[in-house]
Amino acid sequence: MKAAIRHLKRNKGRSLLTLLAVLIPVYTLVFMFGFASANLRDMFETATNIESGHFQVREIQERATGGTLQLIDDVAPVLGALDDTDGIAWRTIRLDVPALASAGARSETVYVQGVEPETVARITPIETLIVEGEYLTAGSNGAVIGVELAQTLDLTIGGEIILLGAHPEAAMGILKVPVVGIFDAPDASMGRSLIQVDLASARTLVRRPTAATAVVVMVEGVTGPWDVHKIDAVTADLSTRLPAGFEIADWRELAPMVLSYMNVMRPALMIMAATFFVLGALVVVNTLYLSVMERTRELGLIRALGSSRLRVMGMIMTEAGILAFAGAFYGALAGVAVILIVEAFGGVPLPARFAEVFRSLGLSGVIHLRAELGDVVLSAVAMAAVALFAALFPAWRAAQFEPVEAMRYVE
Amino acid sequence: MSNSPLIRTSDLEKTYKTGSIETPALRGVDLELHEKEFTAVAGPSGSGKSTLLHLLGGLDRPTGGEIYLEGKAMSGLSKDQLAKLRLNHIGFVFQAYNLIPVLTVLENTAFVLELQGIVRSQRIERARRILGELGIEEYADQYPNRISGGQQQRVAVARAVVTEPSIVLADEPTANLDTATSLDLIDLMRRLNEEKGATFFFATHDNRLLDRVNRLVTLVDGRVARDEVRDSAPPP
Repeated sequence: MKAAIRHLKRNKGRSLLTLLAVLIPVYTLVFMFGFASANLRDMFETATNIESGHFQVREIQERATGGTLQLIDDVAPVLGALDDTDGIAWRTIRLDVPALASAGARSETVYVQGVEPETVARITPIETLIVEGEYLTAGSNGAVIGVELAQTLDLTIGGEIILLGAHPEAAMGILKVPVVGIFDAPDASMGRSLIQVDLASARTLVRRPTAATAVVVMVEGVTGPWDVHKIDAVTADLSTRLPAGFEIADWRELAPMVLSYMNVMRPALMIMAATFFVLGALVVVNTLYLSVMERTRELGLIRALGSSRLRVMGMIMTEAGILAFAGAFYGALAGVAVILIVEAFGGVPLPARFAEVFRSLGLSGVIHLRAELGDVVLSAVAMAAVALFAALFPAWRAAQFEPVEAMRYVE
Repeated sequence: MSNSPLIRTSDLEKTYKTGSIETPALRGVDLELHEKEFTAVAGPSGSGKSTLLHLLGGLDRPTGGEIYLEGKAMSGLSKDQLAKLRLNHIGFVFQAYNLIPVLTVLENTAFVLELQGIVRSQRIERARRILGELGIEEYADQYPNRISGGQQQRVAVARAVVTEPSIVLADEPTANLDTATSLDLIDLMRRLNEEKGATFFFATHDNRLLDRVNRLVTLVDGRVARDEVRDSAPPP
C-alpha cells in the first residue's frame, strides 16, 4: 500500500488524470441524479398533494361518463375502513363537479372541487399558492380560483362567481359565491379550470347533502415515488377492509405523468451513467496501461526477484483501487456539497420562459437538487467498480511480463 | 566443498530467434557449480555470459539441455514455480543496480523477505542487520536516487543475500562502477563468500577482478573454453 501511494505520487499528473476519470463521472452522476430526483419529487408532490393524493377511494366506475367520477351518497363505510387501516397520514372527502362558471358576461367550463378546508389545508399547497386574498375556511361561503381563470372571467377578490353544476348523475345546482382567494397554480391548465369551494357548498351543485366523489388519502412517511412500497402496503391492507362496490386508484393511475417521467428519466439517466462509466473506464485503462508500460523494467525486476504474477497484478490493482475509491469518494462529496449549497440558496431560479415550460409539467420554476443516499452510493460504488474492472487489463498485462524481456526492454 | 553440485548444467543450449534468423548464444554448456564457490564467468561480449546467468537463475528457459538445481531439473517448472525458486534459492545482482525507486534502501532490502511472507518486524530486523554488515545502514532511510552508484550496488548485494539464497548470480555487477568502487564491491562479495559461505557466480569482462576469484570459467562463442580453479583451498 505504501509503495502504491509512492508510485502514485511519483507520477502526479497521471495519477490525477486517473483520479479525475473516476471523480468527474461520479460528481456528474450525483448532480444529475440529484436534479432528476428533485424534479421527480416536485412532480410527485404537486400531483399527489393538489390533485390525486397518494391514492383515492371511490366507487367502482360503472356509470362514469366523460371522465367525471361517480357520486357516492354515503362515504361513512369508506371512512370506517380507513380508520381501521394503519399508516394513513391524512384523508379528506372530496366532491368534484364539472360546472360552468360565469361572471358578468363571461363564462368558462371548470371543475369545482368541494373540499374540507380544515383537513385539506394541513398539507395542500393551494393554501401556500394564494397570491391574493385568503384560503377557504370551514363553512365559509367563498371560492378560490386560479390566476388564469381570474383573468379569463375578469374577477378580483370579492367578485361574485356563479357556478352551474353539471354532474351527469345529479340535477343541476346553482351556487353563487364570492372569490375569497386567487392562487398561482403550478400548472397553467389547472389555474384555468380548478375552483375550490367548501364541501358543503359544492354539494349544492349536485343537490345532494352527503354526496362525494372520492376520499383522498395520504400515506405516512412517503417523500417521493421511491416510497411507493409504503403506499402499496397500505392499499393492500385497505383493500381487504373496503365495502363492496369501492375501489382504490393510486397515484400511478391518477397522475400518470409522474410515472411517465419516471419511466423516461430513469432509463435516460442509466444510459448517461453507462456512457460516463465507459468514458471513465477508457481513461483508467489508458493511463494505467501507460503507467505499466513505463514501469516495464521495474515490474520485470519484481518478477525476477521472485514475485508471483498474482502479486504483480495485486500491486497494480492496489494503485487502481486507491485512485478509484478516492475518486469515487471525492466525486460523491463534491456532488453532494454542490447540491447542499444550491439548496441552501433555495435552488436556482429559471428564466421566465423556461419556468413556464417547467410549470406546465407540474414542476416549480426553480431548479432544485436532492441528494438521495442510494443514488450517491450507487454512483460512487458503481464507478469505482467499473474503474477497478477497467484496471484488470493493465494489471493482467503487467503480470505477463517475462523478467528477462522486461528488463531488456529498457536496456 | 560438497561433492554434489549445487547447480549442474547438461549440454545447455540457448538459441534466440528473430523471425527466421537464429542466433545461438549457448552451444552445449556443461558446468557444475558447488556450494561456497566464488566463481566468475568471463569472456568477450556476446560469448553468452548473461544468457548463462539468466538460464541458471530461471529468468529464461533453455532451448536445449537441462539445468539441475540441488539435483532437481528446472525444465518442468511453471512460470510461478520458477518465480518461487528464484525467490527462495537465488539472489540476483544486476549491472544497472535495479533497485525499486519508490522504496527506501531498507525497504528495497526487505522487499524479497516480504515476498517470502516474512512478518514485518523480522524482515526489518534482518534487512537492517545485513545493511549493517555491508556498511550501508546509515542509508537505510534514503531512496536509491539519493545515494551513489557504488552504494546502490551494495544495496543490491544486500537484497541478494538477505534471504540467504543457495547462490547469488551477478551479471556484470561492476560494469557501471569506477575501479576503486568495483574492487570494493568484489571484496565485499568475497567477504560474504568467506564469512557467510554465500555462493557467488558472476559475469564480468573486467580482468582487474579476476585475481580475486577462486574459479574462472571462460566462455567463447557460447561454449566453455576454459574452466580454471585458481585457489585450490576451499573458502573458509
